[in-house]
Amino acid sequence: MSTWPFVVMVAAVFIQRTSKGWSEVAQKVVMPLGVAAIGVSLWQLGCDWAGAEIIPTPWRTALAMREITASDRLLGDSLASLYRVTWGFLLAAATAIPLGLVVGWSTRSFWAMNPIIQGLRPISPIAWIPFAILWFGIGDGAGIFLIFLSSFFPICVGTMAGVRNISLVHQRSAANFGVSGFELMRRVVLPGAMPQIITSLRIALGVAWLVIVAAEMCGMDSGLGYLINDARFMGNRYDLVAATMMVIGLIGIVLDLLIRRLENFDEVKWGYVKQ
Amino acid sequence: MTQHESKITDPKVVVEGVSKHFMRRDEELPVLEDIDLAVKPGEFVCILGPSGCGKSTLLNIVAGFEKPSAGRVTIEGEEVTGPDPRRVFVFQEYGIFPWASVWDNVALGLRNMTDKRKQQETVEHYINLVGLGGFESSYPRELSGGMKQRVEVARALAVSPDVIYMDEPFGALDSLTRLTMRAELIRIWQAEEKTILFVTHDVDESIQLAERIVVISDRPGRIAEVVDVDLPHPRDLGSPEYGQIKNRLYELLGVSNVV
Repeated sequence: MSTWPFVVMVAAVFIQRTSKGWSEVAQKVVMPLGVAAIGVSLWQLGCDWAGAEIIPTPWRTALAMREITASDRLLGDSLASLYRVTWGFLLAAATAIPLGLVVGWSTRSFWAMNPIIQGLRPISPIAWIPFAILWFGIGDGAGIFLIFLSSFFPICVGTMAGVRNISLVHQRSAANFGVSGFELMRRVVLPGAMPQIITSLRIALGVAWLVIVAAEMCGMDSGLGYLINDARFMGNRYDLVAATMMVIGLIGIVLDLLIRRLENFDEVKWGYVKQ
Repeated sequence: MTQHESKITDPKVVVEGVSKHFMRRDEELPVLEDIDLAVKPGEFVCILGPSGCGKSTLLNIVAGFEKPSAGRVTIEGEEVTGPDPRRVFVFQEYGIFPWASVWDNVALGLRNMTDKRKQQETVEHYINLVGLGGFESSYPRELSGGMKQRVEVARALAVSPDVIYMDEPFGALDSLTRLTMRAELIRIWQAEEKTILFVTHDVDESIQLAERIVVISDRPGRIAEVVDVDLPHPRDLGSPEYGQIKNRLYELLGVSNVV
């Protein structure tokens, strides 16, 4: 039984309490670190209790992290996953946004398309894996197809909702100044829905990153999901599994930070501040 | 302006027997009942009435956003079938686009102008006219309520409309800004000679602005009376004539002995 987790937890709680008078920046750095320290301590206690064969220790995981970052495979597999996510996501955005704009704007297309979109939406992209492999084989094509499916519906539905929320006053302004057809889409419908489109892109990218790992675990021969499978089947290296999971989490955070930058454009800021 | 004598008395906007009913559940809800009204070119007319009397519905029908259940609206003899860039609507809840800069908002009606220098000049002219010079690249969310409403007025004026419809445009502003905006509107109206139809529930606002006040009764809205305001601008809010008109309006609205 290790004793350090107890020491660390007491120290972390103590620092949480004494940091109260510190500057805001210092608190925002110190407090999550304290929570993380408590988490790692509980992790270690869990290993002591259940045995290191069931749960790899924090130290073993840290060593595994060094091992995978030193190998070429991590970079290659990360790039493979990111490649599939990027293309699947971009293809989905390029098709779902125009479709969402039209279906959201025209009542008759909404009647025609909405039941079908709502019917396909609840089908997990994972359920499509057999067809993905049947149609595209083991490789990037199947991954891109699955990411396309998982991103398409959140983006399409978000765009539709954004369009349908455009205020009557703005619709009437456009009509009053004779804005119609393609120009109406470009000048009013697209910018009016843009804040919600960006929110849906964020959700879709998050979902895409979840789905690609599952897809690679089920039917692909590269990528971070495959790396996890590999570590598991080639000698029960659960420390490598845990380290890969951490890499997946970190890349996910970076992807979200990147896509959130879209919210900073002057053309969409109005959608995120309370009026 | 050298208009022919007879032309001046020809009405610009004519509302003939307009009624409007809404369907709620299976019940027919009358909102407007048999409205007749003629507005002369260059006239400033206020439509005054209590909340929910149908005055905004009337303005929406005149502007072509809604269809009347009966009757018709003509402008220079031509029936109104939909909104038209020659007649611009100024909304109460900020009709300008929050995703576009002040400049782009004001340029909306001039977007197809081929002479880009002329376009630049016109947009600049109207931005300056409403006192927003220097704010061209600002976005609406960076502006106060009064400034947003000025952008909307500039956007309307920039297309040189014959008629401007205003639906309680200053309703959301604080009382001081409202006074300033009224004075500016009168200044612009006198300079540009537009026909203005202005909906309000504010008795003082209508007397300060209008040449004629159309008083609408409570629902279903009917014209109770048309009151002339024959006072020169700037108007003396303490004059006995002002008080008389105010009393008359309160009487028509049924609140004469309340205060």
